[in-house]
Amino acid sequence: MGAIYLLTLRQLTGRWRLLILTVLAALPVIITALVVRSPEAPSVSDFESFVFSTLLAGSISPLVVLAIAAAAFANEIEDRTLANLTLSPLPRSRIVVPKLLAAITIAGPPVAISALLTGHLAFLGDVRATLAVTASALVGVALYSAAFTWLGLVSSQAIGIGLLYIVLWEGFFSGFVDGVRLLSIRHYSIALMHGLDPRRFAGGHHLGFGVTIALSAIVFCGFVWLSVRRLRRMDVP
Amino acid sequence: MSRSTAPPMSGVTRSAASDPRTTSASGLAPVIRVDGVSRWFGSVVAVSDVTFDVSPGITGLLGPNGAGKTTLLRMITGLAAVSSGTITVFGEPVRDNPPLYRRIGVMSEHEAVYGFLTGRDFVRMMGRLRGVEDLDAAVDRAIDFVDLADAQHRPMKTYSRGMRQRMRLAATLVHDPELLILDEPLNGADPRQRVHFQSLLRKLAAEGRTIVISSHILEEVELLADTVLLIVNGKLAASGGFRAIRAALDERPYHVRVVCDAPRELASAVVMLDSVDAVNIDPDGAIVVLSRNVRDLQIELPRLAQAAAIRLRRVEPLDDSLESVFGYLVER
Amino acid sequence: MTETQTGRPETAMPRGGTVFDIGYQRYTGPREGRHRGRFAVFKNGVRTALGLGRGGRAKVLPWFFIGVLAAIALIMALIAGAAERLAGPGTAEEIGLPSHSDYYGIVSMIVFVFAAVVAPELLCRDRREGAINLYLVRPLTGSDYIAARWCAFFAVMVAALWLAQSILFTGLVMGDPTPIAYLRENWLDVPRFLLAGIAFAAYATSLAMLTASFTNRRAYASVFLVGLFVISTPFTVGLASEIGGTVGQWISMFNLTNIPVHVNDIIFGEVSKITEGAPAGEFPAWVLVSWYFAWTLVPGGILWLRYRRMTP
Repeated sequence: MGAIYLLTLRQLTGRWRLLILTVLAALPVIITALVVRSPEAPSVSDFESFVFSTLLAGSISPLVVLAIAAAAFANEIEDRTLANLTLSPLPRSRIVVPKLLAAITIAGPPVAISALLTGHLAFLGDVRATLAVTASALVGVALYSAAFTWLGLVSSQAIGIGLLYIVLWEGFFSGFVDGVRLLSIRHYSIALMHGLDPRRFAGGHHLGFGVTIALSAIVFCGFVWLSVRRLRRMDVP
Repeated sequence: MSRSTAPPMSGVTRSAASDPRTTSASGLAPVIRVDGVSRWFGSVVAVSDVTFDVSPGITGLLGPNGAGKTTLLRMITGLAAVSSGTITVFGEPVRDNPPLYRRIGVMSEHEAVYGFLTGRDFVRMMGRLRGVEDLDAAVDRAIDFVDLADAQHRPMKTYSRGMRQRMRLAATLVHDPELLILDEPLNGADPRQRVHFQSLLRKLAAEGRTIVISSHILEEVELLADTVLLIVNGKLAASGGFRAIRAALDERPYHVRVVCDAPRELASAVVMLDSVDAVNIDPDGAIVVLSRNVRDLQIELPRLAQAAAIRLRRVEPLDDSLESVFGYLVER
Repeated sequence: MTETQTGRPETAMPRGGTVFDIGYQRYTGPREGRHRGRFAVFKNGVRTALGLGRGGRAKVLPWFFIGVLAAIALIMALIAGAAERLAGPGTAEEIGLPSHSDYYGIVSMIVFVFAAVVAPELLCRDRREGAINLYLVRPLTGSDYIAARWCAFFAVMVAALWLAQSILFTGLVMGDPTPIAYLRENWLDVPRFLLAGIAFAAYATSLAMLTASFTNRRAYASVFLVGLFVISTPFTVGLASEIGGTVGQWISMFNLTNIPVHVNDIIFGEVSKITEGAPAGEFPAWVLVSWYFAWTLVPGGILWLRYRRMTP
């Protein structure tokens, strides 16, 4: 299992990719730093809505994870090297899990550090709020990774479908259709943030904390289970 | 051993004489059992109701390109599902049965590898995934076997094609599998590499392993395989010892087309030869000679032509291709 | 059979080494020139972009996008028509329902995602699998190839946008209680949306293709392009409103999704809903148009240069 984890780490990293990741992750930090310094600092909810909800959880996090997690399996299928892994006596779950963990390992730190710094700047050193933001961002990364790893395994058009999901589902519909929020990873992130630090993030229209934790666990395990099932049943190229 | 698999789905009963099951010399259970297996993709049938057994030794899977060899091998290795029928390897179903891969080594037709890994790292990783104990020793053995010890520390993207194939073979062998399945392993190999590869395979077979190797080159399989399975258009056209198949070929006459200056005159001379069964005249003036004994024809024809002062312009065999050979066999 | 040097014929039997002249014939017909090759690459590009000839799966995404574009136009037309019927003619304009001038702004993100997903198919695959060499060893040059591919995607994009706008126009005409009058008053909308569609398509094509020319894996090109648009939008909007003034205006100019929409506004002569609040809209028209051309021609130029120097 460790062998697959390390192999995937090597497959998914590359100089340019890491550079772009860093740039993307730096954006919210930069914008926060500038905004906080200006005399007309917006209210917490405006700021939160813009930076965290839209920028971080809604755009940067899923895009970064899409590029990396979908590639975990999609690249192997495209390159036709997946058989090297499936023709081993490992149970399929011990192929899926290390790849997923590798994707989280690469996408996680940039997003987490970005969230950490952004939160630190925005909330002027409030530890609890900062940790809330960081933890929820990480959970978002984990959930997106599970979903996009599965997508990369299932479809050759994974990126197109993933982009549609991010732009239409997360970006558009979940904004005003309440039912969609139940199935929106971005909103899980936001709800977790609210739940972890209710004093700072009070109010607002979001899911309950307990419900979110349960849904997150179900979604994560569900996608992992789906990936394992798919790997067992598919025709490996 | 009692058969736990279902009877062939086609409903056609096979007589003992045409039953393609190979009986192994030692009377042991066959290693691979393929029973009534078909595979279709939508409306395209890639493999059609194939039944055979494979025993230890080298078995050649032979057939023209597009015959279904790769699809069949992918089903045997469990990479692809069957549409109907069953496949068992070492007595167990092969699909969705990861522990079985400890005993099977597969070299697929795709030459893709992880280019950034060194040869040694690649073999080592394959060994680790397959649970090899004493990994370094096994890797050393495998790499020595394919004679790539001096190149093992270079990244595989710097390898030549032949070296990549050999390193892939090492990765296939590192866990010492009893069954080896090689899909067109000699694709793109130069003559020297072919000879080397062939000797490697013979060494492996001598150790008691079962090797299934697929190819579309008759001569290669002739040199290597004890048993041959001929696949044409998804169907099993012939199976058994190679000599037996060759002998079957000799039963039907060869067609040889001769273009010359005086076709009818030559025809009347040629038809007198013992080695000739019949002579036809083509609409465009060439004659087609049917002969069972091509060697004799080869000697006699120029003599006849010289004696009759007829200039031979072209002499060509019409049915020496693999396809036509298989065609004959399939018709039977 | 060939004749040996001594003139004695040799029969060619199975073990012989002669080459037979059985089937290969040289082509002696007319050979068409580069323009035929360019057209072939163009046609292939259009077919690839629309997923034609490649089975059902390849068609899903492009036709889904086109469907969404058309559906939005249809919905807009229906809403306007309903308003007209319920509250009398002229209501749509009075209450400011979105119309032709707003359409491109509304669908801009969808258009960019479409470009991000489909444009790499045209370029990345060929480079990755080495098929580009097959093109380059012909009389075709690298610039022929990229020009043909650019035109192919541009054509698909323009067709989709024009189709959607035509649906909107037809819907508005038919939904109006007095269609002839509506037509007479608003026929200018047609050339306007045609021109704006061209502007939009050219911009999206150039940017998408430039991004695709930098990487061999389609996935990374797509995500990068979408990331560029999705992130630059709120980023510049937020910053611009914070900082304000001329600096804010210039920051707003870097909102990549709005650049063609400003041109659209200029063509229609009215500010659309999407760009209503954008500080960049306050710039004079020539600045906005030049900016647009910079962002369309420069990527196009770089694309040209990258491919011009390609050799097999």
